[in-house]
Amino acid sequence: MDVLGQEWREAFGRRANSRFTLILMLVVSTLLLLSSLYSAEASVFKKARESVLDAAAPVLAFFAGPVAFIEDRVGQVRDYFNVLDQNEALRKENAELRRWMEEAIRLREDLAGYERLQAYATELQSAPIDAFVIGDSNDAFARAMIVNAGAGKGVRKDMAVVDDRGLVGRIIEVGNRASRILLLTDAASRIPVFVENTSLRGLLIGRSGKSPVVSFEAGAVIDELAAGQRVLTSGAGGALPRGIGVGRIAAIDPSGDAVVDLDVNYARTRIVRVINYQFPEFEPAPAEVLAPPEQLAGAPPPVAIQVREAPRTVTNTGLAIDSPEPPPPPRATEDEE
Amino acid sequence: MSSRAEGFQRILKALGPTAVGLVSVLILVAPLRLFAGLAPTPILPLIVVFFWTIAAPAYMPSFSVFLIGLLQDFLSGGPLGLWPAVYLAIQYMVLAQRSYFAGREMRVVWVGFAFAALCAALMVWLVMSIMSQSVLSFRDIIWLMTVTALVYPVFSIAFARMHRAVFADR
Repeated sequence: MDVLGQEWREAFGRRANSRFTLILMLVVSTLLLLSSLYSAEASVFKKARESVLDAAAPVLAFFAGPVAFIEDRVGQVRDYFNVLDQNEALRKENAELRRWMEEAIRLREDLAGYERLQAYATELQSAPIDAFVIGDSNDAFARAMIVNAGAGKGVRKDMAVVDDRGLVGRIIEVGNRASRILLLTDAASRIPVFVENTSLRGLLIGRSGKSPVVSFEAGAVIDELAAGQRVLTSGAGGALPRGIGVGRIAAIDPSGDAVVDLDVNYARTRIVRVINYQFPEFEPAPAEVLAPPEQLAGAPPPVAIQVREAPRTVTNTGLAIDSPEPPPPPRATEDEE
Repeated sequence: MSSRAEGFQRILKALGPTAVGLVSVLILVAPLRLFAGLAPTPILPLIVVFFWTIAAPAYMPSFSVFLIGLLQDFLSGGPLGLWPAVYLAIQYMVLAQRSYFAGREMRVVWVGFAFAALCAALMVWLVMSIMSQSVLSFRDIIWLMTVTALVYPVFSIAFARMHRAVFADR
């Protein structure tokens, strides 16, 4: 025991830092970096990331608690000074919202009418998961946040995350108690979007630091594009639901990409909602219904009718996405990410 | 018996700077959003590694530096191995120049830290640009490192007091 103690004392605090260990460690981290460059999604790394995320969640929550408390107090003090301005702004907003309410009531009646006609299927119910932001990557390039909800609460990879302003990002890593959101500004972020009141669809591409841009499909006519138009998720690719507000077009690049002013303000994102959106599924049809009985007796049933239970077979636009066998709708797959 | 307890205490003290480094990573990833998100949280672990490598390198062994960097990679979500490599490279540079820095005035060391921060910024930018296969904007990382360099004196004074009062052997 004493010998071990002696060694420890020599390693920490007594002996001069060994050049050999330093270089060894440097080589180890370089190798680690190279291997994560080439196989970022390797299962070992993934597992390790998820475990560390889980282990760190309570500690991060411990640190984030006081931060939120202090910020709230500071915010309250600031509010006292801005009461008049805020009142004015709220009055204006109230007037605007009243107008929207009138329209919403009218639309609700219309919708009820359509539902009675049974010509319209109501949107699928989703069960949102609310969570607090407990970590921020605080990195110049990697843009991510950690929230205190994980697989235990039903969070899955690729789910959309929103706050009260709009889309925040999507889930990329899920631990049991915590998960990581890839923000829209990260250079690796790709979100299928469309521009309101146009036929333009494209990918929202993060540029780490600068505002993200929408890159349109090749050959898209961008004449209809104007600053101020709303950008919403298109639901293509099957990962995110359609119609979540992302931002507004700020400017159009000379290259034809549209720079987007995001609705979300990452400096204010504290409480988020993970959208647990289930896409329409195909009921696995019983074989007898689809195949004539005489065929069942002889040859094995045709492959085409074996619709497996894939969680995401179609988007709400009816496009076929990553399903093992092509499902019934006639339209072909497009907008693969 | 008492000598063993003393030895144990000494080990705990020697582990102190490592613990400070790990806690500084946790503070770094906490959602502080200083000045409503205008200023990024400074890269505190870099200050920790730099300070102890100059002041008392024996208290900041390479393995601790590796652990601190690895924790930062795990929590910030970047590629694994990036920050350990950066911190160890900085430690290597500092150790090579330590005889120059030893006993120098505070501002000389400060300039040294600013240079180290610039090198760290270059390394991170280079790796991330290679990873994303595009030339990334240099602005953000420079801003981050500028903020880090600006707050260095405050933390180095605090760490120096902490070291003398708590961790130092005698």
